[in-house]
Amino acid sequence: MNCLEFRREKLAEPRRASDAARAHVQECVKCAAFARNVDEGDAELLRAMTVSVPEGLADRVLLRPKRSDFSDWRVWALAASVVAGIGLAAVFVGASPSDAYARLAVAHVIDEPESFTTEYHSDARSVAVALRSVGASVRSPLGKVRYVKLCPWENGTRAWHLVFETPQGLATLIVVADERVRSKSDAFVNGWSARIRPARRGFYAVVTSSPAITGEVDEILRARINWDA
Amino acid sequence: MIGDKKSDFERTVRAYSADLYRYAYWLCRDRFVAEELVQEAFARAWKSWQELRDPGAVKAWLITILRNERARMYARKQIPVADEDVSEFEIPDLPSIAENLDLKRQLERLPLAYREPLLLQVLGGYSCGEIASLLNTSEGAIMTRLTRARQALRQDAADPLKREARP
Repeated sequence: MNCLEFRREKLAEPRRASDAARAHVQECVKCAAFARNVDEGDAELLRAMTVSVPEGLADRVLLRPKRSDFSDWRVWALAASVVAGIGLAAVFVGASPSDAYARLAVAHVIDEPESFTTEYHSDARSVAVALRSVGASVRSPLGKVRYVKLCPWENGTRAWHLVFETPQGLATLIVVADERVRSKSDAFVNGWSARIRPARRGFYAVVTSSPAITGEVDEILRARINWDA
Repeated sequence: MIGDKKSDFERTVRAYSADLYRYAYWLCRDRFVAEELVQEAFARAWKSWQELRDPGAVKAWLITILRNERARMYARKQIPVADEDVSEFEIPDLPSIAENLDLKRQLERLPLAYREPLLLQVLGGYSCGEIASLLNTSEGAIMTRLTRARQALRQDAADPLKREARP
């Protein structure tokens, strides 16, 4: 094995040296230095690749698999603990096309109770990215945002799920790109109130615990966010 | 037994979600999308749990599922997958890439064809043969990609002007 062959092998498979490579490096000082250099580089690479993992990832994964028996004992149990007394199946009972999205937004909030108890990507950039997905932009700060997450929505699409603090308590904003609604629509389902409004490239939903609060939060959102940017 | 199935699945999620997340992150370079991919991959793994024949190979199985989910996600969203080539060049000597503070940015810029086998080797601990099997290609092709990946990183480290000029 010559130096070039050794170096190519070392660069391709640093942790597993062949017999020929081991013999070569015993005799070649320059290649021994090269090998040390590659090993140090790989150690540095490993450190760079080991990015931090979002807190609670495994818990969220275990809560996620809906439509399967796994959810029976985790998702519904947790949802029930947060929204005591609510029958989730009833969320869609009586839904008409006009408020189906509002009911879907309520179901999503019920399905992700950790959004109220977790701080997640709550920075201004994440908020801006979420709003930009529907062509909206911030006019003035929304206040304390606690949770910004890209979630699965219906038909394989995704929606941005935000939770922020208001004088009336926590409110949920769901931002859905590329799905059109024509006008404002409200729904009140088992103690949750939702309002849908069109945005430039999709729509948004506000979900709170009462129609009055939803209306107030919606006014805040319309004042502080340019939905037709 | 459904109870065993659930506890096996929960153990697997707790054991491998971090590894899968890091792998997904470096594939897509976006934390939100990475978590979404991990969620989707485990959801699909749960549905197909009975198809897992060799529990010892669960990590490789999950990686395969995650790669498929990523492809599905890109297909749904019609996001073009850029996979530019890196030209052949001589093996440079020092400086070490360990001296380079921009390693994460360099990794992000590395073409996916080179970045992915490098992730599987450095982060996953897989051999060239195992990576070839995971990526459905030959061991020789993987060795070439890994060599070029490390060359590219070292070349960037040795040439800051070139590094800045790359998109």
